[in-house]
Amino acid sequence: MRRWIGPVLVGLLLALGAWHVTIVQFPRVLMRTAIGRLAKPGINTMFAAPLATDKARTIVRPSPDLAYSTCPFDLSKGPVLVDVPPIPAPYWSLSVFDARTDVAYVRNNLSAGDQPIRIAIAQPGQPVPDGMQAVRVTGERGIALVRVLVEDRTAFAPIDAARRQASCKALS
Amino acid sequence: MRAWLRYALCGAIGLALGSGAAIRHVRAGSLGAMRAIGPWRTGTDFGTARADGYTRAVVALRGLLALPAQEARYYNAATDSAGQPLDGKCRYRLSGHKLPAKWWSLTLYDRQGYLVANQANRFSVSSAAMADPAQWQIVVAPAEQAGPWLPTGRIDRFELTLRVYLPDDGGIGGMTRDQLPSIVREGC
Repeated sequence: MRRWIGPVLVGLLLALGAWHVTIVQFPRVLMRTAIGRLAKPGINTMFAAPLATDKARTIVRPSPDLAYSTCPFDLSKGPVLVDVPPIPAPYWSLSVFDARTDVAYVRNNLSAGDQPIRIAIAQPGQPVPDGMQAVRVTGERGIALVRVLVEDRTAFAPIDAARRQASCKALS
Repeated sequence: MRAWLRYALCGAIGLALGSGAAIRHVRAGSLGAMRAIGPWRTGTDFGTARADGYTRAVVALRGLLALPAQEARYYNAATDSAGQPLDGKCRYRLSGHKLPAKWWSLTLYDRQGYLVANQANRFSVSSAAMADPAQWQIVVAPAEQAGPWLPTGRIDRFELTLRVYLPDDGGIGGMTRDQLPSIVREGC
């Protein structure tokens, strides 16, 4: 029986380590999966998703009151520029999530004074164009997300037209 | 049994148990499991670097791309005010007061976090639909109701998410039990 004491202790240590690694990696794996799903229309490209219904399966807990435009980005070749013009809605915002699911940046129309929002998403050390607000993120990949409040789905057309002017593109 | 085989066996079992237990623990967590206010659960560290590993994992599973507290607060309920699981075949009345925020919405999801098919194609009710924002009621029920109504689609178990956008306190504090709506089951 004493011959099992060492192996059991090693097993317990590995169990603790596996617990910790799994908890830490869980968000990263889900984020990679989400980026993979959202990148079907293209990476470093803004995609205007239709309003959420019961058929929506891309992300969990979509808000049916919001129109989402997403840009899965890849900074391996340089910064990515995101430009969101004013949208005729009571609320709209741009947020940037890094590979760990942390919010690196968020700004809404009220804090922006209903002016356009222009940012350059970059990793630490990557140069960004003069005059552009740099948003530094951890990791090469993440998601930029535009949310627009749609109070009345029957009045969505002008909001949809305006949000489709939002762009996302690699600098190089 | 040889020594290396004992170590390999226990090591493999340890890795499997550790990973499996972590996944099970995260899956058992509910969005905003950090703080309970009546039937509602919430947290303040969604989407921030301050969030601990477990919070980050649960939010990634239940509400990926959630906004930080200054932009929106998320309150999730899987039970009524009496502590009973929310049942899609029952009728519930939510009663609330003015919420200290720019606007809010109430959305019904299944246990996996997806919107639920229903006869009205209605998935949420927002503050804009309340005749009196200071004193409002919403009925959550399978059959159509007079006034603000959120259909359940007759699913076995559902959850409600109350999104409160641009909270007056900048997301620093949070709402009390008196400020959040009660969820009372009226019948099945």
